[in-house]
Amino acid sequence: MSVQVNSMNRGAVRSDLLMAGFDDAVQDAQKVFRKVLKAMSEPGTILAADLTDKTPGALNKSSWEIALTLFDADTKIWLSPTLAGDDAVISNLRFHCQCPMVSEPAEADFALALADELPELKALNWGNSEYPDQSTTLIVQVEAITNQTQDSDEGWCLTGPGIETERGLSVSGLPYSFRLDLVNSRKRFPLGVDCVFCADDQLVALPRSTEIKPSDSEEGIRNTTQQEAN
Amino acid sequence: MTMSEQQSASARQHWISVLAKADSKALQDQWQALAIEPEYQFIRKPEIGLTMMRGRVGGSGQPFNLGEMTLTRCAVRLASGSLGVSYVAGRNKAHALTAALADALLQDRDYQVALQEQLIAPLEAQLIAAKAEREAKASATKVDFFTLVRGED
Repeated sequence: MSVQVNSMNRGAVRSDLLMAGFDDAVQDAQKVFRKVLKAMSEPGTILAADLTDKTPGALNKSSWEIALTLFDADTKIWLSPTLAGDDAVISNLRFHCQCPMVSEPAEADFALALADELPELKALNWGNSEYPDQSTTLIVQVEAITNQTQDSDEGWCLTGPGIETERGLSVSGLPYSFRLDLVNSRKRFPLGVDCVFCADDQLVALPRSTEIKPSDSEEGIRNTTQQEAN
Repeated sequence: MTMSEQQSASARQHWISVLAKADSKALQDQWQALAIEPEYQFIRKPEIGLTMMRGRVGGSGQPFNLGEMTLTRCAVRLASGSLGVSYVAGRNKAHALTAALADALLQDRDYQVALQEQLIAPLEAQLIAAKAEREAKASATKVDFFTLVRGED
C-alpha cells in the first residue's frame, strides 16, 4: 500500500505551474463551504461557484473551488487518470491543499473524476454500518447540469430529505452504467456515496439520502435494473 | 541533479535563509533603499500559522516534538514568471512578503548580483555580527569548574 502512495507522490510541485487560489482564502473558502452545505442539504439545487477566474489544468471552476475549500492534509484524494497525470492539477493541489493522493479509490475521502473516467461506484468506500460517514465523497466534472428534465433522456426526478415534493435534475455526460449503479446504490442506505456534480461554475449535490427516479424512460431502466440484479 | 543545479539550489537556500533570519526592520530598510517595485501577483498571500518544531536529544536521539511556534509564509509570482517563497518565524506579514519578493528577484539574473551585494551581503554581515555579540555575551558568563587546593595541611 505505502509503495503505491509513494509512486503517486513522485510528482514534485512544479513552481512554474502554480497559480493563485482564492483572493481571500478564509472568506472565500467559507462562502464555498456554505454553498456545498446548502447543495447537500437541498439536493438538486444548482448553485453558482464563481469566485475564481483561472483554474489549473483540466479542473473546472466549481471543482477547483471545492478542492480549495474541502481538501487538506487530513483528506486522502483519488484523482481520475487524466487529472492524476496533469502536473498543473497535482502541483496546485499539493501546494494549496497539501492533500495526500492515493492510487486506490476505496482509500479516498474524496474522489475527483472526469465524467468519462468515473471509477466503478462499488470501487469507492461506502462507509460501514458503525460509521457510514466515513464513505468517499465523489466529485464529478460534467458537461452541464440543469433542472430542466423535459426533452432529456438523462433526467432524474429527485425526492427525499431536503426536497419538499420533488425536484428535476439532468446531468449530462454521465455513463449509463454509472447512472444505473447510482440509482441502485440507494438500496444499501445508510451506506453509500455522496456525489457532487460540477459543471463549469455550477455545482449540484446528490447525497445518498436522495431517491432517484429516472423521469423519462423510467420503465426501461427499471427493467434493465432487475435483469442486472437477477 | 547536475552540479550547476546543485550550486544554484544551495545558493538559493543560502539567500532564503538570510532573508528569513534577518531582522525585520533591517530587511525593510535595506529593501526600501534599493527602491525596486516589481510587479507581482500573490500565489499565497502572507498567512500566519503554527508549525511544530521537532528536535533530537543530543542531535542523534529519537525525534520528539519540542513545541509549536508561529510562522508566516508567502508566495508571489513576478511578471517575469519567477516564483518567490518565504517562511519566516513570527507574525510579521510585511517581512514575509519582502522576503518572497527578494527571493523571486534573486532568481532573475538581471537583479541577482546587485541584490546579493546590496541586500543579502549586508544582512548576512548583521546576522553574523549579532551572533558574535550574543556568543561574546554568553561566553563572558562562562564558568570553569576546577578545584582549588584546599588548605588541608
